[in-house]
Amino acid sequence: MIKYAYYPGCSLESTNKAYDISFRAIMYHLGIAMKDIDDWNCCGATAYISVSENMAFTVSARNLAIAEKSGATDVIAPCAACYLTLRKAHEYMMEYPEIYAQVNSALNKIGLSYEGTIKVKSPLEVIIDDVGLDKVRIAVTNPLKGLKVACYYGCQLVRPRHVFDDPEEPVKFEELMKTIGADPVYFPFRVRCCGSSTILTYEQQALRMSKNVLLSAKREGADIIATACPLCQINLDAYQRRIEKEFKIKLNMPVVFFSQLVGLALNYKYKEMALDKSIVSPKKVLEPYLHSQEEVKEGK
Amino acid sequence: MIEPRIGVYICHCGHNIAGTVDVVEVAKFASGLPYVVVSRDYQFMCSDSGQNLIKEDIKEHNLNRVVVASCSPLMHEITFRTACRQAGLNQYEFTMANIREHVSWVAIDMASATEKAKAQVSAAVRRAALLEPLETRMVKINPTAMVVGSGVAGIEAALRIAEGGKKVYLVEKKSSIGGNMAYLDKTFPTLDCAACILTPKMVAVKNNPNIEILTYSEVEEVKGFVGNFQVKVRKKARYVDLEKCNACQDCVEVCPVSVPNEFEFGHNDRKAIYRLFPQAVPNTFLIDKQETTPCKATCPIHQDAAGYIALVAKEKYKEAMEVIRRANPLPAVCGRVCFHPCETECRRKLVDEPIAIQQLKRFVYDWCYEHGVGMEIPEIEEEKKEKVAIIGSGPSGLACAYDLRQKGYKVTIFEAFDEPGGMLRTCIPEFRLPRNILDRDIDYIKGMGVEIKTGIKVGKDIDFDKLREDYDAVYIATGAYAGKKMGIPGEDAEGVFDSVEFLIKVNMTAKPKGIVSGNVMIVGGGNSAVDAARVALRLGAKKVDIYYRRTEREMPADEFEVEQARAEGVGLNIMTAPVEILTENGKVKAVRCIRMDMTEPDETGRRRPVPIEGSEYEVDYDYVIMAISQEPDLTAIEGKKGFEITKWNTIDVNSDNMTTGVKGVFAGGDVVRGPASVVEAMCDGKKAAIAIDQYLSGVKEKDIKVDYDANIVKRKEEVDWVEYYKEKARQSRVKMRELEPEVRRKNFDEVLLGFSEDEAIKEAERCLHCGPCVECYECVRVCEPEAIIHDDKDEIIELDVGTIIVATGYKQMDGAEVKQFMYGRHPDVLTALEFERLVNAAGFTEGKIVTSKGKEPESIAILHCIGSRDENYHKYCSSVCCMYALKLAHLVKERTNAEVYQLYIDMRAKGKGYEEFYNRLLREGVRFIRGRAASVTTFYLYPEEKGKIVVRCEDTLLNRIRRIPVDMVVLCMAIEPTEDAQRIANIFNISRSQDGFFLEKHPKLAPVETANDGVFIAGACQGPKDIPDSVAQGGAAGAAALSLIDKGEVEIEGAIAVINEEICSGCRICNNLCPYSAIEFDEEKKVSRVIEALCKGCGTCVSACPSSAITALHFTDEQIIAEIEGVLI
Repeated sequence: MIKYAYYPGCSLESTNKAYDISFRAIMYHLGIAMKDIDDWNCCGATAYISVSENMAFTVSARNLAIAEKSGATDVIAPCAACYLTLRKAHEYMMEYPEIYAQVNSALNKIGLSYEGTIKVKSPLEVIIDDVGLDKVRIAVTNPLKGLKVACYYGCQLVRPRHVFDDPEEPVKFEELMKTIGADPVYFPFRVRCCGSSTILTYEQQALRMSKNVLLSAKREGADIIATACPLCQINLDAYQRRIEKEFKIKLNMPVVFFSQLVGLALNYKYKEMALDKSIVSPKKVLEPYLHSQEEVKEGK
Repeated sequence: MIEPRIGVYICHCGHNIAGTVDVVEVAKFASGLPYVVVSRDYQFMCSDSGQNLIKEDIKEHNLNRVVVASCSPLMHEITFRTACRQAGLNQYEFTMANIREHVSWVAIDMASATEKAKAQVSAAVRRAALLEPLETRMVKINPTAMVVGSGVAGIEAALRIAEGGKKVYLVEKKSSIGGNMAYLDKTFPTLDCAACILTPKMVAVKNNPNIEILTYSEVEEVKGFVGNFQVKVRKKARYVDLEKCNACQDCVEVCPVSVPNEFEFGHNDRKAIYRLFPQAVPNTFLIDKQETTPCKATCPIHQDAAGYIALVAKEKYKEAMEVIRRANPLPAVCGRVCFHPCETECRRKLVDEPIAIQQLKRFVYDWCYEHGVGMEIPEIEEEKKEKVAIIGSGPSGLACAYDLRQKGYKVTIFEAFDEPGGMLRTCIPEFRLPRNILDRDIDYIKGMGVEIKTGIKVGKDIDFDKLREDYDAVYIATGAYAGKKMGIPGEDAEGVFDSVEFLIKVNMTAKPKGIVSGNVMIVGGGNSAVDAARVALRLGAKKVDIYYRRTEREMPADEFEVEQARAEGVGLNIMTAPVEILTENGKVKAVRCIRMDMTEPDETGRRRPVPIEGSEYEVDYDYVIMAISQEPDLTAIEGKKGFEITKWNTIDVNSDNMTTGVKGVFAGGDVVRGPASVVEAMCDGKKAAIAIDQYLSGVKEKDIKVDYDANIVKRKEEVDWVEYYKEKARQSRVKMRELEPEVRRKNFDEVLLGFSEDEAIKEAERCLHCGPCVECYECVRVCEPEAIIHDDKDEIIELDVGTIIVATGYKQMDGAEVKQFMYGRHPDVLTALEFERLVNAAGFTEGKIVTSKGKEPESIAILHCIGSRDENYHKYCSSVCCMYALKLAHLVKERTNAEVYQLYIDMRAKGKGYEEFYNRLLREGVRFIRGRAASVTTFYLYPEEKGKIVVRCEDTLLNRIRRIPVDMVVLCMAIEPTEDAQRIANIFNISRSQDGFFLEKHPKLAPVETANDGVFIAGACQGPKDIPDSVAQGGAAGAAALSLIDKGEVEIEGAIAVINEEICSGCRICNNLCPYSAIEFDEEKKVSRVIEALCKGCGTCVSACPSSAITALHFTDEQIIAEIEGVLI
C-alpha cells in the first residue's frame, strides 16, 4: 500500500509544470513512493467556496474519498490553494456532523464515502517533517553554498492555524534551505499575500502586493525567491516585468519552487529541474552550482 | 441508636435557585423522605432569619439531623454548621446538598432541574440518617509567620505583621528584596518616583528586628497544617558572606567576567560578582556561579582553566600564573604535553572550536618566565617534623611532593634514573617537551625544599622496608615502565623494540643517531606510537609507518599529534596488524601483516577488529617498534607482604584515598592505573598528598577521606547550549605557529613556537565564561573584609511557622512570544519594563531617552494589549498597561520632543485619580489611536518611512488602515503568572484559576484567603494588579494572618481517617501514599496509625487499604452508598 496519494491540481499540470517535475524527481530521489489520485477533480479553490460552501466541500471531498479508498493515509497537495481547500473540507467535515452527513450523502450517490482518515500535507511538510532534514542532508551532493534564498511562504501555507509551522514567524522552510547548503535571508514579507487571484479582478492592487514582496526580498539582499505555491510563483515571476515598468523599479528577481533548488542540490541538472521554464531567468544566480552541466553553457 | 429526626431546608437563593428549580415542589418531595420530620423552603437560608429557622426547628421538633439544600459547601457549610452547633447539635450532624452550582446554574429546563434537585436532596437525606457526631480539637497557632516573595505586596504584608509584634520570615528568590517595582521609574497617576516609595519600605524591612530576610532562597517543602507549618527553605550559595561584605565594590573592579545584566534586560553588562541593583537589600554582593566551568570540572586536577584564561584576556599574566599554580605543580610541562580533556568538554566547541586551553597555559608560563614574574618560590606555611618518602619522580611523585612540601612536610623523592622527571624525561620526545622546560618545573619544586635522590632504585639499591622505617609515610609512584610485546613469532629478533625501551634509549643517550635507520614499522595507535614514529624519523629513518588494527577515528593518540606526524611524512596504515616478523641472520627483514575488518558494534557500542582471512601480505622493514602497552614496574615492593596486585600487574589501592592496605603506604599514577596520562598521574599524587596529610595528622587509615570533587558545582537546570549560543558570532581558534614540517623532521627542536601576546589575548577572549564565574579568585585577592567564600554551599533551613503569605508576583510576558512586533529582531522595539529601565535615571542609558543608535527619537509608538485580551495568548486584561502607558508617554513628552502614539483597544482608567491623569495626557498632545497594532515592519513604502519602524494598525475611529513610521516601539506585554507558579501552587497546596494565577477562596468574601487554611495570597500572584491594589492586598493578608495569630488556636476538622488496628495487616502501603505524612507505623504492634493533627481526611489511604481497615470519618462507606442510593431512587 502506498502511504502518499498525490494530488497535482490544475496548475501543476499547466502553468506550473516545473513544480510538478521537480517535486516528483526529488521524492523519487529520496525514496518516497507516491501514487496519483485516480481521476482527481478540481479542488474548487477559493472561488467555489464563496458560491456554495457545501458544494465546494463535496468537490474537494471526492478527491479525499478516492485517496482513502486506495488505502493512502496522506494526500500531498503541492498547490497551496489546493492544500488549504482540501484541508478545510476535511476539517469542516470532522468538526460539523451536519456537513459531514451532507457531503457523504452526495458522495454516496456516486458510490463513494469519506471516513476522515486522510491527512492533507504540503510538499514542504512531507520533506521536512516526514522525510526529515537529516535524510535530505545526506542526499545533498551539490550544496548551494552562498546562495541567498528568500523563503517565501505566502499566505496560505501556514494559515490560519499552527499546523505546519508558526503562522507569523515560520522557520521550517529556512531550515530546509540551510540543509541544502543555501543561505536563507529573512525578509518582512515572507508570510504576506502576493495578491493571488486578485490579479484577474483588480490587477492594480495585486501588482502592488506582488511588488512589495519582491522589493522586500530584494532589499534584504536575496539572490532568488523560493516558494511552495504556484499562484505566488506565477504572480511574482510572470508579472515581474510589468511590475518593474509600472512602479519604475528594477527587480530582476528569479522566483522558483523550493523543489527545484532541492533538486539542484541533489545534483539534478538545470533542465531536469525545469529551471529553464522560469520567465525571469535564474541562470545567472545559479551559475556557480551548475559546474558539471554543459548544456547551460551551450544555451548561452 | 436514637432514631434520626431530620429537618430539610430548601433555599431559594433569591432567583439563583428558585428561578430554575421549583423549590416548593422539592420541599414537598423531601417531606415524604424517610425520617424527615420537617421540610421547608426559604428565600435566603444563609440570612440570620434563615439560620434562626433551623435553630427554632431543632428545639421545637427535637431534630437531630439537618439538611440544607442551597449553594456549595465551600460557601456556607461553616455558616450552617455553626447554626446547628448553637442549637445544640454536633456540627457533623449537618449535611448540605448543592442545588445551585450543581443544579440551577447549569440547567435551563425547570422540570428536569427540579428532578435533579430532588435527587440531590434525597441523597443528602439518606446520608444524613447515617451521620455520626464527631469531635473536633483545638490546636495552638505558632505566632511566627512567613511571607514568600518580597515585592511591594510581600513587603507590606511582612511589615504589617512585624509591626504587630510578631516574627516574620521574608523569603525571596532573588538576591534582593523589591520585586518588580524596583524596575520602575515613576508611578501613576501621582508621578512620584518608584524608588522614593519602595526604598524606604525596603529599608524599614531591613531595620525591623521582627523581620528575618532570607534572600536568594526558595521554599522547597511545606508540611503540617494551619498554625503549625514546617517549612524547608533552600538558601542558595551566594559565595559572599552576607555579614562581612561591606559593598565596597573592589571585587567588581577586578572581576574579569562580564555577562549580560538581566536587571537591565541585557542592555548592559554586569560582572560575575554583582548585586541586583545599587539599592539592593541586603546591600551585599554575590557571585553568579551556576556551575563549575566544564573545563575545570573535567580536569583531573581541577585546574581553574577558565580562570587563567579570563585573566589572560585582561593582560593579567602574573595573576594568571598564580591561578595556574594553585592546582598545578607542573605548569610548564602541562602547557605542552597535557592531553587536555578540558578542550574536549569546552563549550565553545558548540559554537565553533574549543579554546586552546593548554596552549594558553604555555603562553602564561613562558611569558612569566621571560619577564621573571610569578616564579617566586612560595613560603612554606609551617614546617612539620614528619618525613615522607616518594618513590618515583614522574608527574605523580612530583605533584605529591609539591603539595606535601607546601603543607610543611619533609619530602624525599627516590628516582631510579640519573635524572628526575620519570616518563616526562625518559619517554616524551624533546621536540614536544624541551628538557630545559622540564627542568624549570623540577627546579621550582626542588627550590621549595624537596629533596630528589637520583640513581637509587628502591628494591635494588635500597630496601623498601628501610624506607618505611626511616620515613613516616611512603608514596609509590614508580610508573609503568615494562613495555609489552605482541607475542608474535620473530619478535625477539634484533631490531625489535618496545616503545618504552626505544624512547628511553633515545632520550637517555647523548648521541642517539643510528639507533634505528632504514624502514621502521611502528605498531600501535596511542601517543607513544606517534612519539616513537616521529622520533624514528628524526633519527634519520628513511621510511616510518604506523600500523593500527582499528580505524583512525579510534586511535587513542591526540588528533593534533597524528596530524603533525602525518605532515612530517609518517605513514599511517589502519586496520592492519603484524602477524609475524621475518628475520635474516637474527635481524628483522620483513613483516607479515594481515588486514582487519571491524565487527558491527556490540551491546557496549564498541566495534572489535577481526582479521580478514587470506589477506596476509609481506612488507620489508628493518626495525619494528611495538607501542602496545606498558605494565608497572613493581621492583620496589617485590616480595613485600600486604599489597594487592591486580591481574594487570598494578597495585590495588582504595581509589577514594590511595591507601594500599599497608600501613602508611600510598600509591598512585601509572603503577596503579596502568599506562595513563600526565594529568591523571598528577591527580593521584595530589589525592595522595591530602590522604598522607590526614594520615600524619592522626586520622585512622580507614577513615581517611579525600573528596576531590567536593567543590564542583553542578548546574541545576539543563540548558540546550547549541540553541543558547545559536546567535553567537563564529570566531575560529588562534592557531599556534610551528616549525615547518620539512625543517622540524630533521631535528629535535620544539615544534610549537608559542603565542604572541596579541594572539593569546585574542584566543582568551573567545572564552564563553560558562560559570559564568570562572574562579580566578581575583575577588578573594582584593576583598579586604575577606567576605568571599568560593566553596560556599546551598543550605537547607527548617522553619516552623503558623501562617504563610504567598506574594510571589508576576512576570512580564516574553516579547518574542508575539512574533509580529519584531521584538528581539529590531533593537528599538522594547518591552514596557525595558523602557522603564531606559527612562530610569539608574538604568542603562542613565535616563536618557535614546534609540539604540544613541539618538533622541522623533516619535515613539506605545502598543497596548500585546498578549492580553487576545484569544491566542491571554484572554484577560492585564489591568495596569493603560495607565503605565500614559505615564511613559508623559515621561517621554517631559524629556524629549518626540511625538508619542498610543495604540489602544479601550482606555481603562478605573482607579482614583486615573481618569484625571488620562485627561491630562490628552492635553499634553499625546496621539491616541483606537485600534490594536497589527504588526511592525521595517519594509518602507513611502520615502518618509525609510529607516523607520512602521507600525501597521487599523484606526477604528477613522475606519482606515494606517502605517505609522516611528523610531521606537514600546510593547505593553501581558502580565503573566511566574514560570514556577505551578511548583509554588504544589508546594503550598493552593489552586490556580484558569488564567494561571493563584485562586483566592472567594473573590469577594475571602479575597486574600486560599482553600488551604493558614495560607494567604497577596499581590499580582493572584491576578494583574497595580501598586495601590498590591499594597492593599499585602496589608489585608498581613492583617488576616495577624487575626489568626491573635486568636491563638484553631479548630481541627473532625472528619479524619481512622485505622482499625484489629484489621490492619501492617502492609504499610498507606504510609507512603499519605500526602500529609499523617500515618505512622507502630513497630511494636506492627500496625499503622493516623496522626490526628496532621490528617486532612482526604481519603487516599482509605481507598488504597487492601484490608479495608481504614475508615474516613464523616465519609464512611455506608454513608456514601446511602448517598448514591438516594441519587438513583
